[in-house]
Amino acid sequence: MSRKQLDATLMTVAALVAFGLPLVVTSPTYLQILILLFFYAYLTTSWNLVGGFAGVLPLGHSVFVGIGAYTSTILTLQYGVSPWIGMLVGGVLAALVGVVIGLPTFRMRGAYFCLCTIAFAEGIRVMVENIDSLGPLKVNGPRGLLIPLKDPSFWHYQFMSKLPYYYIILVMLLIVLTLTWFISRSKIGYYLAAGGEEPEAAAALGVNVANCKLLSMALSCFFTALAGTFYAQLMLYFYPKGLMGLDLSFEIAFIALIGGRGTIAGPVIGALVLRPLNEFTRIYLSDMLPGLHLVIFGLILILVMLYKPQGLTAPLSAVYDKLARKITREPNAKGVAA
Amino acid sequence: MTAVIQATLNGIMMGAMYGLTALGLTLIFGVMKVVNFAHGSLLMVGMFSAYWLIKLTGIHPYLALLIVPPILYFFGYYLQDLVIKPVFRAERQVREPLTVIIVTTGVWYVLDNLALMLFGAEYRTVRTAISNKSFALGSFIVSIPKFSGFVIAVATAVGLALFMRKTKIGMALRATSLDREAANLMGIDQYKVYNIAFGLGTAIAGIAGCVLIPFYYVYPSVGVVFDIRAFIIVVLGGLGSIPGALLGGLVIGLIESVFSQFMASTWTEAIIYAIFLIILFVKPSGFFGNKQDW
Repeated sequence: MSRKQLDATLMTVAALVAFGLPLVVTSPTYLQILILLFFYAYLTTSWNLVGGFAGVLPLGHSVFVGIGAYTSTILTLQYGVSPWIGMLVGGVLAALVGVVIGLPTFRMRGAYFCLCTIAFAEGIRVMVENIDSLGPLKVNGPRGLLIPLKDPSFWHYQFMSKLPYYYIILVMLLIVLTLTWFISRSKIGYYLAAGGEEPEAAAALGVNVANCKLLSMALSCFFTALAGTFYAQLMLYFYPKGLMGLDLSFEIAFIALIGGRGTIAGPVIGALVLRPLNEFTRIYLSDMLPGLHLVIFGLILILVMLYKPQGLTAPLSAVYDKLARKITREPNAKGVAA
Repeated sequence: MTAVIQATLNGIMMGAMYGLTALGLTLIFGVMKVVNFAHGSLLMVGMFSAYWLIKLTGIHPYLALLIVPPILYFFGYYLQDLVIKPVFRAERQVREPLTVIIVTTGVWYVLDNLALMLFGAEYRTVRTAISNKSFALGSFIVSIPKFSGFVIAVATAVGLALFMRKTKIGMALRATSLDREAANLMGIDQYKVYNIAFGLGTAIAGIAGCVLIPFYYVYPSVGVVFDIRAFIIVVLGGLGSIPGALLGGLVIGLIESVFSQFMASTWTEAIIYAIFLIILFVKPSGFFGNKQDW
C-alpha cells in the first residue's frame, strides 16, 4: 500500500465514522455536544483562513457570527425569507464588513490588528445592545431575538430532531475544510504564507500581500457568518452578549492555536481536544468549585504554548508519519533509514 | 453647566485611574512588543492584595502603597521569568510572537478564575479612613480618594518617565525597546530586561490596585473593565508611550463621564469604541506613537 492510498483510506474511514456516528450516539444531549464540537471546528477552520494562513491574530470573529445570525433571523422574522437565503445574504454582508475592517488594519503590525479586531467586535456588540430597532428592522437590544417554531421543514431550517443539524454542520465543515485544502495548495496560499511571515520580503518579490490578505479575510468572514445562521436555527434564540461576546472570539483563537494555526487539521484537532474538555469539566467541576474548569483551560493553553508553540498538529503528524512509514514500508522521505 | 463641570472633574480623576492601568501595559508593550492580556488580572491581583492587607491589618490605604507594589513587582518578575520567557525563547526569531499573547491570555484565565475559586464572585469593598471624605472646590465636590488617586497616577507617570531617562536600568529598557538585537550585542541581557519590564508593569498595576481600593469595589473579573479600556488607551496614546498612556486615560475618562450627562451610559461605551476606530483609521500611531511599531 502506498502512502497516498493510506492517506485516502484513513480519510474515508474518518468521514464514514463522522457520518455514521449518529447511529451509535442517539441521546440528544450527546448529539448536541457533537454538533457544537463540529460547530466550533467549522468556526475555527473559517477563522484559520485569515488567522492561520495570513499570519495575523483576529480576536473579534464573533462579530461575524453575529452578523450572520442577525441578518438571516431578521429577514426570516420580518420578511419571511428562508434562513437559507438569509444565510447567504449574511455571509456576503460579513465579507464586505471584513474587507472594510481589513483595508486600514492589514497595514499595521500584529498587535494593532489584534486590538483593532477586539475593539471593532466589542463596539458593534455594545451598539447592538443599545439599539431596539434600526429603521424598520427590529433588533431588540440586549434581549436578543427569539425564532418561533414554525412547521419544521428544510426550507424553514427547522427540524424536530437534532439529526439534520448534525449533518448540516458536518457538510459545512467538510466544505470549508476542502476549501482550506485547495487554498493551501494554491498560489494564494503560498502568497499568504510568504506575506504572513515576511510581508516586506514578499512584497519585494512582487506579491500583493494586502490583496491576498483581504481575499482571505473576506472568505473567512463569509464562512464565519454562515455559522451564525446555523447557530440561530439550532438554538432558536440568541442575544448579543452570548453570541457576539469576546468569549466566543477568544475560544475560536484558542482552539486554532492549540490545534495548530495555519494547518488544515489543526482546527479539527483543537476542537476535538478542547470542546469535550470544556463540556465535561464544566458539567462535573463547576458545581464543586466555580472557575476550576477555566483554570484548567488556561493551564492547558499555557502548557501547550510552552511545549508545543506550533500546536498539537505538528507532533501528531510526526507520529503519523512514523507509523505510515512502518505500514507502507517506504523509506524516509529524505532517503535516510528511519 | 455645573453638572458638566462636575462630570469633567470626575472624568479626569477616573481617567487618571485608567491611565495608571494603561501605564503598565504600555511599558510592557514598549519593551517586549507584546500586548499583555493578563494586565487586567494583574490589576485584580493588586486590588485583592490591597483589599486583604487593609482588611486584615487595618492599615491606612496609602501605607499599602509601600507594601503591595514591591510584592507585585516580584510576582510579575517571576511570572515573566517562569511562564512567558520560555515561549519567547522558543520563538526567538519572530518580532512579535503571537503565541506570547495567547500565553498571557492563559494567565488571565488562570488568575481570574483562581480568584473566583478562592474569594467567590461577590463584589467587595473595604471601608478605609478616607473612603467617603471629600473637599469643596468652589461649588464642586471633589472626592479625596479619587483626587489623591489622580495625584499618585501623575506622580507615577512622571516617576516612570524619569526612571526611563535617568537610570541605567531605564536606559537598558529603552535600548531593548528600540532594537533588541543591538541591545543584546551591547551586553544587555534581553530576558532580564523583560523580567524587569514585566515586574515594573505589574508593580504599577499594584499601585493602581492600592489607589482604587478606597473607592472602588473588587471582584474576580474586575480587570476586564480596565483591560479593554487600557487597550484602547494605549493605542490612542501610542503603544509604548508613557505620556500617551496618561493622556489617553484622561481622554477616555472625560468622554465616559461627560457624554453620560447627555445620553444613556451604555451608549458612551459605544462612543469610546467609535472614537478609537476613527483614530486608528486616521492616525494609527496615536498621539505619541512610534511609527515602526505599527
